[in-house]
Amino acid sequence: MGVILLTKSPSHFSRILVVTKKELVDFIRDWRTVLAMILVPLMIFPAIFIALPLFLQGEAAEMSSYELTIEVQGELPNDLNSHFEGRNLIIIETDLLVNGTLSEPGTDAVRLNAGGIENIHAILRLRQVDSNASQSWYYAILSDSTDELSLEAKTRTLDAVLTWEREVINATLAENNLTYAEAWDPIHWDGDQADADVASGGDLAAMGLAMFIPLVVAMWTTTAAIQPSIDLTAGERERGTMEALLCTPTARSDLLFGKWLAVATVACVSVLGQMAGLLFAVNFLTGGGLEAPSVSTTGVLLLLLSVILFAIFVVAIELAVAVRAHSVREAGSILGPMVLIFIGPTLFAQFVNLQGIEAWWFVLPVFNITLAMREALMGIYDPVHIILWLSTSLAYAIAAIWWASKQFNREDLVESLS
Amino acid sequence: MGEALLKVADVTKTFADVTALSTVSVDFNAGEVVGLVGGNGAGKTTLLRLLCGLYQPSTGTVRGIVDENPVDIHKMREHVGVVPEATGLYARLTAWENIRYHSRLNGIDDDMAWTRTERFAKLLNFDQDLHRSTRGFSRGMRQKTALLRALSHGPKILLLDEPTGGLDVTSARMVRKLVRKLGDEGGTVIYSTHNLAEAQQVCDRIVIIHNGTLRADGSPAELISSTGCDDLEEAYVALTEDVSRIDSPAENEGRIARAWRRLLTRGGDSSD
Repeated sequence: MGVILLTKSPSHFSRILVVTKKELVDFIRDWRTVLAMILVPLMIFPAIFIALPLFLQGEAAEMSSYELTIEVQGELPNDLNSHFEGRNLIIIETDLLVNGTLSEPGTDAVRLNAGGIENIHAILRLRQVDSNASQSWYYAILSDSTDELSLEAKTRTLDAVLTWEREVINATLAENNLTYAEAWDPIHWDGDQADADVASGGDLAAMGLAMFIPLVVAMWTTTAAIQPSIDLTAGERERGTMEALLCTPTARSDLLFGKWLAVATVACVSVLGQMAGLLFAVNFLTGGGLEAPSVSTTGVLLLLLSVILFAIFVVAIELAVAVRAHSVREAGSILGPMVLIFIGPTLFAQFVNLQGIEAWWFVLPVFNITLAMREALMGIYDPVHIILWLSTSLAYAIAAIWWASKQFNREDLVESLS
Repeated sequence: MGEALLKVADVTKTFADVTALSTVSVDFNAGEVVGLVGGNGAGKTTLLRLLCGLYQPSTGTVRGIVDENPVDIHKMREHVGVVPEATGLYARLTAWENIRYHSRLNGIDDDMAWTRTERFAKLLNFDQDLHRSTRGFSRGMRQKTALLRALSHGPKILLLDEPTGGLDVTSARMVRKLVRKLGDEGGTVIYSTHNLAEAQQVCDRIVIIHNGTLRADGSPAELISSTGCDDLEEAYVALTEDVSRIDSPAENEGRIARAWRRLLTRGGDSSD
């Protein structure tokens, strides 16, 4: 085989980078990974916050274009009748034949049920009663809640009735020389309630993020790392590429770190994409009026540190579990439910009061990182808390890497059930 | 032949309750093409994996020799090129990218690796396919890619695990010719096969493994003459007839795979 080509032995770091680069190229060339790891996280919040409301608006506009028929039983006052105008309703007036409670449908139920032949979408029953008010009425609207058109007819009718009711109240108050505000709002907040909040827009934005970011980071880091972790370990075993890779002079720890770096990169890009999508959607909904969150440099650094430590911890655990699995299917069936182990505590920690919080919370795995992220975003810098979550998170991350490294040194890594 | 490059001394390898190799001792010397011959489950792949450090011996030692100094088998890896039976190619990379990935891990400059790869690819009539994605490659094309990958860093020793298994006649012939050429140029090749005709054609020396034990070690002519047979096939049968063995050939087949399966389903660690 002639001349030995080896010129210099590459450093551990350069070998790690070679592995990482190759794995990233492999990810990028798989459209499913790009879709699942980049596009979906980027689009999910804009889809929920922008596209869904737009869709619902369109559906509502479509519903309002239908001409619906209302049967009014009893005397229809002119002032109510005027409120039916412009609501795309056909009003049929009939006599009120009910003597008891107006809500009891009686034989009208058959007329309204879906498939009824009379094409009446709702029935408004009205009965005037004596009172000290300018006028007083009992009413009921009969409708079929399983029929979309009947529900829409009820909504339009109710809206007209409530508007009319407001007028009746105003008229009664006027007869007694009172205004609506005097009668219903005698203890009145002066000015705008939002103006009285001394928190700046940036503080409010930071508080809002404190509710979202830990959850997004925990959910997406854990879920985004699953597929690549499986692909780079159990997947390689199944495809037979692991044996050839282990035959190279690269130390197994370097291979593991290279793979870990690739998975962590993909997971971080995924999380950042989701956060960017979230900020874009919120900014869009607030008409571009979203203020930049007021987070200090220390807060940003602590936030990044906590995210990195969490990513090290989670990705190492998922790689280790995936290495232990004997097949891709087995790895998937273990790692899927395992996500709950990370998301559960994160969700729980969102409801823990930061005021007067006990220090031991910052020792518990996952809880500590979630609370650290919340404190960093809220501008709370307690040295005891920081020392506790930093040291314990670092210890958990090192333990996870050690365990992953141990799994990656297993002799049966070249074998698979398939 | 030259000095020993790999020394296997009293090696036994067990998986759970199955002994895959039992007290095997053999040296592999510089400049020879050695055929590891044996039936399915004889222990050939286990020995190859011990030679490249994927497995650790249960007892005994496997040593590499570099510049007349014994080295740990892991240190020997940069001098070894391996073609595993499964070839192990990444489907989303081209043939050249697969080769380059391994050559980079071996510390080889891309230009140097390309020069060497192109030279051997021409010998295998594969140079036009180097930039094609390996997805959809035939078995022969995969085998050629794996062979080029193993050669890209200029190893002193080439370990081939049944490199012609499943290949068509033309591809198998090309692989054999390349191996013979490497041997003629002074390279060391350890070549696992259960094809006796192929072993006789390609190898300077044949090591017969049967039921995890070394049964014979010598040139094809020596094996034939030592058994008094007319050809290598008869010599092989004579050397592997074993009235004392417990396992029948049918039982023996796949016994290591079964042992691994038992280990895997238990999830037990093995030493490394």
